[in-house]
Parts: sequence; structure tokens; C-alpha cells
Amino acid sequence: MNELYRLATGPLLWASFAVFVGGSLFRLLELFLLARRRERFLFTYLSLRYSLRSIGHWIVPFATVNWRRHPVLTIVTFAFHLSLLITPLFLLAHVVLWDEAWNVSWPALPDAWAIVLSLIVIAGCVFFFVRRRVTPEVAYVTSASDYVILGLTAAPFVTGVIAYYQWFDVRLFTLLHVVSGEALLVAVPFTRIRHMLFAPLTRAYMGSEFGAVRHARDW
Amino acid sequence: MRRLAATGVIAAALAVLWALGAGSQEEMKAVSSDPFPRPQRPPAVFAHDAHNEKAGIEACNECHHVYEGGRRLEDESSEDRRCADCHGLSDENGRPGLRKAFHRNCQGCHLERRRGPILCGECHRRR
Repeated sequence: MNELYRLATGPLLWASFAVFVGGSLFRLLELFLLARRRERFLFTYLSLRYSLRSIGHWIVPFATVNWRRHPVLTIVTFAFHLSLLITPLFLLAHVVLWDEAWNVSWPALPDAWAIVLSLIVIAGCVFFFVRRRVTPEVAYVTSASDYVILGLTAAPFVTGVIAYYQWFDVRLFTLLHVVSGEALLVAVPFTRIRHMLFAPLTRAYMGSEFGAVRHARDW
Repeated sequence: MRRLAATGVIAAALAVLWALGAGSQEEMKAVSSDPFPRPQRPPAVFAHDAHNEKAGIEACNECHHVYEGGRRLEDESSEDRRCADCHGLSDENGRPGLRKAFHRNCQGCHLERRRGPILCGECHRRR
């Protein structure tokens, strides 16, 4: 088990970081080249001001008509995404790993908070799963990969909670926690999780067109 | 009736033995987390004598080290002091804080020797 753990926290970790960063940069470059080839006119009106205006509205809960029309989705999606980003970055055990490997440190969450945030992420995955099944307009654009990424997203949190409470074999679940986290990183460039990179660009695209061309709101 | 009395005597004897064992607690079972203001995990399991026997550790200063000017003093030993006497809560001039010092002392050795627990929940056990 210790050898598997060495593998997972050594070569596999670096490989997953490399794929995550390299793959993400490749995707961004690919998108930029696509835009230059097919929508070159975009660059004539692309505007930082209208981009930020659009991002600013969509990043605030209930600040757009669409967020107000779907209040439950709005609450769930904001709680889910915030918890998803905050928990791994500010979990005490992770901060300790950074500190002890690289001597860099920052404040950490109390474990009780991290557990609550993890449960929010898991509940969010369940919500999105049910939504993909029962909402017709969402079911229509759903493919198998969308279910896979919900599982991939939930996995590090489920295994993390199990390892924290030491249910079952703590060594097995700590290993699964590490490996599932790496799998999630690797999945970012290759699945719809890449909205993590593209969402601000989508808003920049829409915001610039609505602001500079149509002189209208996009929120 | 006799049976009941006998059971009672045995139970009492066991209780006394257990109390004696607990009272004459020479043996250490965990690393105290008392110096930490708000410990988030259970104290690390550590049976001092059993551990050293298993690991074949004879010299106290394999763990109870003394550093001076960033160098380890081979002939010095610090088992007469508390770890927290030297290691504060945070890092100081290259001297690791208490938490980091504990982790390096235990986990560092386990990683080096490729034996012994290295994961959070292996030492910070809930039971």
C-alpha cells in the first residue's frame, strides 16, 4: 500500500499537474486559433470593459434575469462551485502538505467547516444528476460524459469524507482520495469541466457583442 | 450464589489490575497535542517502548535530537526536555514549528525507511 501511495503522490501527481496545466493551455490556444480563423471580426469589438461588466453580473447570485428565474438552481450552483473551489485550497490537511513540502503556508478552515462544504459539493452533484434526468431542456443536451464528470467531481469529496471519519480502511480511502483528485484534474481539459477555463471567455464574447454591437444588456 | 461471588471477585481483581495498569502509566500511548491551542485531529498514536523495540531504535537522540546553528549534534540528546521547549507553534529561523517537527520526525523517518505509517488517518486515529 505504501508503494502505491508513493506512486500516487509522486509520479502520478506530477503527471496529473502536467496534463492539467498543459492540456488547459492547449485548449485555450486551440480556442484562440479557432476564433481567429472563424470569427476574426470578434477582435474588432472585443472589449475589456464589457467583458468585465458581463462577468461581474453573472458572478453575483441573482444579478441576472436568468439567475432570478431559477432561484433554486442559482443557490445550489453558487454554493456548489464556491465549496468546490474553497475546500481543497483551504482544507487544513492540504495546507499542511503544502507547508511541509514547500514551506508555503496560508490560513486553513477548521475541519468541521470543511466537512460541511464537502457535503454541499456532494449534495450539489446529486442535484445536478437529478436535474439532468428530469429537466427536459437539460436532458436534451446531456451526454454520458456529463454523468461521468459528476461522478469524478464527487469522488474526491466522498473519499475525503470517508478517510476523514476513518470509515472502512483508512489507507485504501486515502489512496482513492488522492487518485480521484488527480483524475479530476486530468479531466478538466478533456470534458465539459473545461467551462472552468472557458466560462470567463464565454462571458467576454457575449458581453462584448451585447455591449459594443447591440448596445444591450446580456444579463 | 458461589458462582456469583466468584464472578464478582474476578471482576474486582480485573478492575484493580486495570486501575493499577492505568495508574502506573509509564507507557506512553500517544503524542500529546496539549501544546496546540485548537487541535483539529486526534493525538497521534505512539506507543513509545513498543515502537522503539519494533523499529530497533536504541539511542534516544535518534528522535530526541539537538540542533545548533542548523546542524545536528551527534552526541547531544534532548529527552529531558519537551519538544515544545524548542519548537514553537510556527516556524522560526529555519526551526520547524511543533506540528511540522512532529510530522518530520515520525513521517520523515517512515518515508526514509519505507516502513511505518505515513497517512493522516494512520496516526491520527479516531479510536
